[in-house]
Amino acid sequence: MIAVILIKVLIIVALVLGLGAFLTLVERKFAGHVQRRPGPMVVGWHGLLQPLADGLKLITKEDLFPSMGNRILYNLAIILALVPAALVFAVIPFGPEFSIGSISVKPILTDVNVGLLLVFAFGSMAVFAIALAGWASNSKYALIGSMRKAGIVISYEVVITFAVMGPIILAGTLSTYEIVQNQIQQKLWYIWVQPIAFIVYLFAMLAETGRVPFDIQEAEAELVTGFTVEYGGMKFGLFPLVEWYVEVLSLSAIAVVLFLGGWSPINIPFIGFVDPLFFLGPFSGFVWFILKLSALFLLTLWIHWTLPRYRIDQITQIAWSVMLPLTLVNLVLTAIIAPLIWR
Amino acid sequence: MEYLGLALLLVAMLGLSILLISLNYILGPKTPEKMQDYPYECGVPLYDKSAQSTFHQGYYLLGLLLLLFDIEAAFLFPWTVVYRYLGIFGFIEMLLFVLILTYGLAYAWRKGALDWQFEEERF
Repeated sequence: MIAVILIKVLIIVALVLGLGAFLTLVERKFAGHVQRRPGPMVVGWHGLLQPLADGLKLITKEDLFPSMGNRILYNLAIILALVPAALVFAVIPFGPEFSIGSISVKPILTDVNVGLLLVFAFGSMAVFAIALAGWASNSKYALIGSMRKAGIVISYEVVITFAVMGPIILAGTLSTYEIVQNQIQQKLWYIWVQPIAFIVYLFAMLAETGRVPFDIQEAEAELVTGFTVEYGGMKFGLFPLVEWYVEVLSLSAIAVVLFLGGWSPINIPFIGFVDPLFFLGPFSGFVWFILKLSALFLLTLWIHWTLPRYRIDQITQIAWSVMLPLTLVNLVLTAIIAPLIWR
Repeated sequence: MEYLGLALLLVAMLGLSILLISLNYILGPKTPEKMQDYPYECGVPLYDKSAQSTFHQGYYLLGLLLLLFDIEAAFLFPWTVVYRYLGIFGFIEMLLFVLILTYGLAYAWRKGALDWQFEEERF
């Protein structure tokens, strides 16, 4: 029992750091091809060892600290950024329950009935990390960047909370594992009846993770990477790692769980599931989950490397005056159609 | 018991993040120079060395709005889980609640809380 839990913890830690680092390469390759250049090519085959080289470079930098800053808060901001972002992975179900010999294993670390509440509890911790990072650096660019980002995160926190209520009504539970199981039982991915919530969720996901078109806290041209400007070496490296990769991955995974049926294969509404990957046997669930996750991640990259960015007041304006009313309307509509779906 | 895994992950991530923070101190070179820890700006000596004295008041408004609506969201979460068992009573109750919420949003909108960036230009 303990051994199983320890293995799961190890897998999640490896996923957060290893995959997070590797995704930097994916992003740079993708960006390169969007802009019709090859991307990193020198270190390893097609730049495959580039994340390793970047990591080595980052950890051998000098440890700098801005003279006007607050050292405790400055370091605490990094911990507050990394730890909650990683903890979200504890409630993500990566696949169906399977058994090795006599032990049956659920590929989810903490399967509790308040799973989604945990996700939002940890998700809203991100705002502390950002606000503290800018405040503790005590530099003007950093402070402006962190205030902007904090404003965006708290605006979209409300939107994302109301957006996920639709799927929760339909599933009637907050446990992530049971939400997927209910979608399989009802033979319905919730995206088919919750398109508004899904689109609003995607926007909020881009905003919370600081991706273009909402990356106003970075705004290289005016703020020289915003709240991370006084951080150096690995301390700097952790912020983009957390924001751009770990958080995008965790929020995409939650989107897959809520809207795209988790590990279930392609869905025809109310009729059933079609599985072109049936030959994979018990692994097909995991492969489907990873496929959906990568599709959402690549969509994020695609948007990031295509669009220009908004202004800060436009971003918060959209959140409060377009997205929030949309989610409220969606909530009422869902409450009306929900009895048809439970049956 | 279910939270054991979460606690273990928390401990692991805390240890890991402290390690990652101290890596630069352990492995990096130490060549102190006079201006290297000067707050970053465009290269001119700073007039006001502390940045914390100035920040835009409008973010405070956003914070107030968040407090309002996030607490309402917290009230709605239990309702979403048990809505299946409440029937028509639950629906009307929720509709009233959402209408009051919408009225609150409209009020904040009308008061100008949403275009917080440019309040000084109206004069």
